[in-house]
Amino acid sequence: MASVAKIPIAASGSFLITPNVGMTIWTLVVFAISLFILWKTVFPAIGRALDKRVETINESLDSAENTRKEAEKVLAEYRERLAEARGQADEIMSRARRAAEAQERQAQEDLRAQRERQLEQTRLEIEAETRRAIQEIRREVADLTVLATEKVTRKTLTEADQRRLIEEALSELDFSALASEGAENA
Amino acid sequence: MSALQAAPAPPSPGMSKGRKIMWAVLALWIGGIVLFVILFGLTSHKAANVASGVFSPTDEFKLDTWFKLGPIAFNKGVMYLLLTVGLTVGVMAYVARRLKQRPGRLQAAVEWAYDLTQGMARENLDQRMARKYFALIATLFVFIFVTNMIGYIPLPVDSTNKFNLFGLHIPSFQIYAADTNVAFPLILALGVFVLFNYEGIKHHGFIGYFKSLIPGGVGKGMLPLISVIEVLSVFLRLISLTVRLWANLLAGHLLIAFMGGELGVLVGQPVVSWALLPLGVAIYMFEATLIAGLQAFIFAILTAIYLGSSVSSH
Repeated sequence: MASVAKIPIAASGSFLITPNVGMTIWTLVVFAISLFILWKTVFPAIGRALDKRVETINESLDSAENTRKEAEKVLAEYRERLAEARGQADEIMSRARRAAEAQERQAQEDLRAQRERQLEQTRLEIEAETRRAIQEIRREVADLTVLATEKVTRKTLTEADQRRLIEEALSELDFSALASEGAENA
Repeated sequence: MSALQAAPAPPSPGMSKGRKIMWAVLALWIGGIVLFVILFGLTSHKAANVASGVFSPTDEFKLDTWFKLGPIAFNKGVMYLLLTVGLTVGVMAYVARRLKQRPGRLQAAVEWAYDLTQGMARENLDQRMARKYFALIATLFVFIFVTNMIGYIPLPVDSTNKFNLFGLHIPSFQIYAADTNVAFPLILALGVFVLFNYEGIKHHGFIGYFKSLIPGGVGKGMLPLISVIEVLSVFLRLISLTVRLWANLLAGHLLIAFMGGELGVLVGQPVVSWALLPLGVAIYMFEATLIAGLQAFIFAILTAIYLGSSVSSH
């Protein structure tokens, strides 16, 4: 590789390691300008902004802490009120339940009383009816007895005979069964 | 990769889009090597100015005087310095003017740099010194960082090699950085050197400063030797500070240029240029993403360390 050996890297390379005087001065001036501007305007501004941000963050943290405390307080208060309200609601509910129960009991009572009254009346009516029916049957039996006796004896019965015959007939009839049946239905 | 894998299912199963592209690029690269070998063979095809030794790869770092204003010469390096100061001050002032409580990306980046350099100052200097020198340390960081970064943008500034575009002789595009000229790091390092010695002498007194350089507990016999070494080491700081920045940037730019095709031109084989191109791209990305920031960081933090150590005794 003789061709590689001929590569003239350092043939005129002395300028590479010789500081260029013009560049030295230019660098110094340019760097000084940069330093001055950054020092006087840029860095203080950034520093202030960063400080301000730190301050803001601290404030935010503080206010967040305060807000949290406040929130906790409000929450506790709310819970207390909620418990109170719940107690009240329970009381109202139980009172309402009691009232409803009492009303129901009252209604049942009324209903039973009314039914009893109706039953009583019905019983009385039946009794009256029964009595009336017995009376009717009595009269009917008496008339029939008179009629039958007239047919058998072919004569008209005197008042005294009639009375006697009726008494006899009636004493043979037993109305107690009817009366008791009527009483049972009532 | 994960983003690429998450993309809609590729037509052929089992191969992600990214992987496909990777294979395609690899195939293109190998195909290119084969094509170049077939077209040019393995014999050297040196350009005339390379064969005669007129062309030198380091010429692009030469500072041709473009024009003069009285005694003030204007050249490529000066242009880069002006670009640097314009960008540095421009961006920083722009951000400083519209500082927001909720920062955007640019403001966040600037604030990050501010915090970083303030950390350097606070960790290495006492409160008074930190207040005094924070601006210097921060400016050094930002200034060198911007210089480095614009050094990776190709600009038509290579006035020693021009190309012809419709009859216009335009300087070739190149990536140049102001700190590839040793004058740039040297003057900054010299400034730092003067400052930390000044602070040391102010703090300890002239004799006291030299005494402070020598570690305690050195025997009488060793004293002369140790003294010479310690004093020398102070001066070596100047050289190391300069050379670290300058050599890193110059070597980086040369490597990118060589791997990006120049080596092939020098040995007269296009296939070499083609074969090394991926390496050139890799070095470019490495330099631009890591070295640019790292060198600025090192220069700034060493400034803080030197200033801090000058006012503290061994």
